[in-house]
Amino acid sequence: MPVYNAPLLSIDAKETRRYAGLQKAVDFDEEKILAACEDARLMAAPKGIWEVYDYDCENQVIKSAPPCTIHGKKIGQHLAGCEKIIALSATVGEEVEEEVTRRFNAGEYSTAVIMDAAATAAVEQIADGMEKALTPKMAAQGFAMKWRFSPGYGDWPLEQQPELIRLAHADKIGVSLSSSLMLMPRKSITAIIGLYRKQAETAPSHSPHGCAMCNKTDCPSRKQ
Amino acid sequence: MCKIEIFDGAMGTMLQAGGLQPGACPELMNIENPDVVKNIHNAYIEAGATIIETNTFGASPLKLEHYGLTDRMAELNTAAVKIAKAAAKGQAKVAGSMGPTGRFIEPLGDLSFDEAYQNFYDQAKALAEAGADFLIIETCIDIQEMRAALLAAKDACDIPVICQLSYSEDGRTVTGTDPQSAAILLDAMGADIIGVNCSLGPEELVPIVKTLAENCTCPISVLPNAGMPYLKDGHTVFPMGPEDFGKWGVKLLEAGASYLGGCCGTTPEHIRELAKAVKDMPLPERRLPAKKLWLTSRSKSVCIDKSLPTRLIGERINPTGRKKLAAEIRDGSLLGVKKEAVNQVKAGAHLLDVNMGVGGIDQAAAMKKAVTEIAQLTDAPLAIDTSDAEALEAGLKAYPGRALINSVSYEPERIAQFLPLAKKYGAAILCLPITPDGVPKTAEERIEVMRQIIAAAKNAGLDDGDFLLDALVMTVSADQNACYEVLITLQMYRERFGYPTTMGLSNISFGLPNRPLINSTFFAMCLAAGLDAPIMNPYDESMQKALMASAALLGDDPNGLAYSKNEANLAVPKAAATAKVTELTPLEAIKQAVIDGEKDEIPLLVENALKAGMAANTITEQALTAAMTDIGVDFGAGRMFLPQVLLSAETMRAAFNKIKELTPASTAPEQGTVVIATVKGDVHDLGKNITGALLANSGFKLIDLGKDVDSTEIVRAAIENNADIVGLCALMTTTMVQIDKVIEDLKEAGCNAKVMVGGAAVTQEYADSAGADAYAPDGVKAVELAKELVQK
Repeated sequence: MPVYNAPLLSIDAKETRRYAGLQKAVDFDEEKILAACEDARLMAAPKGIWEVYDYDCENQVIKSAPPCTIHGKKIGQHLAGCEKIIALSATVGEEVEEEVTRRFNAGEYSTAVIMDAAATAAVEQIADGMEKALTPKMAAQGFAMKWRFSPGYGDWPLEQQPELIRLAHADKIGVSLSSSLMLMPRKSITAIIGLYRKQAETAPSHSPHGCAMCNKTDCPSRKQ
Repeated sequence: MCKIEIFDGAMGTMLQAGGLQPGACPELMNIENPDVVKNIHNAYIEAGATIIETNTFGASPLKLEHYGLTDRMAELNTAAVKIAKAAAKGQAKVAGSMGPTGRFIEPLGDLSFDEAYQNFYDQAKALAEAGADFLIIETCIDIQEMRAALLAAKDACDIPVICQLSYSEDGRTVTGTDPQSAAILLDAMGADIIGVNCSLGPEELVPIVKTLAENCTCPISVLPNAGMPYLKDGHTVFPMGPEDFGKWGVKLLEAGASYLGGCCGTTPEHIRELAKAVKDMPLPERRLPAKKLWLTSRSKSVCIDKSLPTRLIGERINPTGRKKLAAEIRDGSLLGVKKEAVNQVKAGAHLLDVNMGVGGIDQAAAMKKAVTEIAQLTDAPLAIDTSDAEALEAGLKAYPGRALINSVSYEPERIAQFLPLAKKYGAAILCLPITPDGVPKTAEERIEVMRQIIAAAKNAGLDDGDFLLDALVMTVSADQNACYEVLITLQMYRERFGYPTTMGLSNISFGLPNRPLINSTFFAMCLAAGLDAPIMNPYDESMQKALMASAALLGDDPNGLAYSKNEANLAVPKAAATAKVTELTPLEAIKQAVIDGEKDEIPLLVENALKAGMAANTITEQALTAAMTDIGVDFGAGRMFLPQVLLSAETMRAAFNKIKELTPASTAPEQGTVVIATVKGDVHDLGKNITGALLANSGFKLIDLGKDVDSTEIVRAAIENNADIVGLCALMTTTMVQIDKVIEDLKEAGCNAKVMVGGAAVTQEYADSAGADAYAPDGVKAVELAKELVQK
């Protein structure tokens, strides 16, 4: 279970804006966003962990011990043609969210909301950092990587979170689940990345990606 | 060393061709199929290789764990060297290959620096004892792993060590290190040859080789892949043929490399063409860089030199005289330290001094932790500021760059303990002219002490480029010559040694009034006398201004462009800000301030309106509530967004607080009582908090029960407080069902409160089926609906 805690030399202010629902608010004070990003960065304790497994895409079975059958049509389609998968987990830790609550209770509502968005951007960045480190490793073995897919995307039920926690060894980086299957700390990710052998000349058949696949079209954070 | 050497090419693919099974340990071939390995060596030697690498890339104890072969580590490495030497027959040299562990070093990963060190130490010892001519540490992507391996290799044996990192297409290693920082650091740590291999083809490696060659004096090695790999039919394909590969050899030579070879995708034919292409070429003359004082972090290099602009060393990470910071450090919290690191860099610090001098704590552990955390947060190189040799070593070991040691005086224990550590970890030293007898008073005496420190340092293996000289500032109120001696000392340092200079400035003004004036005046004088890198408080505006003005005066800022720009920037915003407000009536101004979220301005606007005789109720209704109504409309229409609405709510809050403060008798009209909670099992409370804040600032009495709240508690609170509305929040499909339960329980208990629900997963449809009175898709809508509900 390799560990890679990708450092956060900055938190992406543009993504933070997006998660805070400020994409269209062009005149919103950039300084305020940057300050919230810096505050969130000080509190963040980036951690990431992953494990590679063989995968039977015909039957949607991850060949772990014990094996894990993946439910959901969309994830099945997404992983079609994959021989292996990476189960990964990433987190920014608990301190940021405690600070968000503190700020909110102190009446700094807007800063709290932006810091919360910055923490979301941060955990995505940590997972991106892991992917960046993983790509050459996997390419050396002849594998290309699909984009990461998490429980709750499409019809992949949240009920499979416990399995994913087990597969990624997420407990080793302090990520666990509440009784109602919420990730704790809140700003954490679990995901699967499919590994496939890219064939000549064929562009990878990626299904719609990220926001494009989500049917909540009125979401203020939808990527434009 | 001025000779072209040719390395061999890829080993792994040749082993596979020789019968290595997928999933088997390649190094086991050294025992089980030595002839296959030997034939590969022979093929490369025959093709023209003058150095061959042992088949030990993965033969370190940690790597062998995968195959359960750790206990055969020495045997596998010894066998590999024997095979290589037998093939070389004295005509080629043998380099013992050490590849990465495949794990990241703390804090990027879970492998400790000491474990990594031990891993490489054991392998290096085995390879050297078996007779390898070189050690080659290759394909590393984490500078910390390279540092651990290099330290281990140098401790384990005396043969030359080659250090090769792998860079990605962006010109950095996966963990962010650039070739300049790598070259400076590894050179200072005593690498014998510095280079690059794998990941990229020769074309992409030319600029990296160039950068390496420009930043160190060691010979440069380069072992490219056969072009940029791509995936085809499920295999990694290297597109560059032997002839093209050979041609690039000439360019790599011209870029500054003298050790050439191949990595993935190369074959004996590639090496043959490479050797052929460069064999008769004279080694191009390489212009070695002058020895200047460079410091590095994981991802950045900073040079301190008289030919360059002033570099600021931030002094704020220091608990001396700062009770709060000291208490935090004692409690094990680094939040204050981290804040100082980030803020100083933001304020213009180029380097950060780190001092953890708090009594009664484990200095070494505190320094290790601080250095580790700061290095993760900022790319400014660090100065490790301690008098404790153990803390110094802990800091140096943890730091993924070339640090500055603050400081080395001419006191026997510092000379004896600190200089060897500087040499071992490749650190630079800040030299302080203090002897066991104390501080020499005159410049001439200081020069003499400095000469002795530098002689001792050179004796310990340090060299030009490793020194930063401190002019030593004393208090002018105690010694009228203190300033004068510093100025002379700075000038003499430059004349006699030519090394860059530093000092802590603020001591000069101790005991005098208006210290900032003395400090900044003194600062300007010192800059003129040759100060290169002051240790100072980068937040100090007068010092920053003195620096800008001095740069303009001394020609570091040609035509004073930066100075003029800075002055112009300071002038603009104030004028714009005052112009805006004046045209509005007091009520309009308050309303506009709420809409614009001007929470710092609003208390004064409210105060002025009240003082002018306006009733509190008028302000509340015609300015504050009216603003909120407009905001609601703008939000609904997508012209205003949530954080802006919240900023307005904060502004409302500030206004209400001011009204309460100045007219305690006036009670704000209450719209009704709302009990709000996130349902059981759900720990998301930001959405609920937002709604609560907006309700509370719109005249509702709010009782917030928090998150993960049991149904019985919600029912009890609703009845006890005679709530008009119960607001329920659930974010996830898994917790949404709790809403049904609460509504049922409320009915059963005979509670008449209206129920409003919301949260990411909740829909109007769901709200209807659960029997809720209203569904609020967002906090702004919730306020609107709440107003309607209380009127029903």
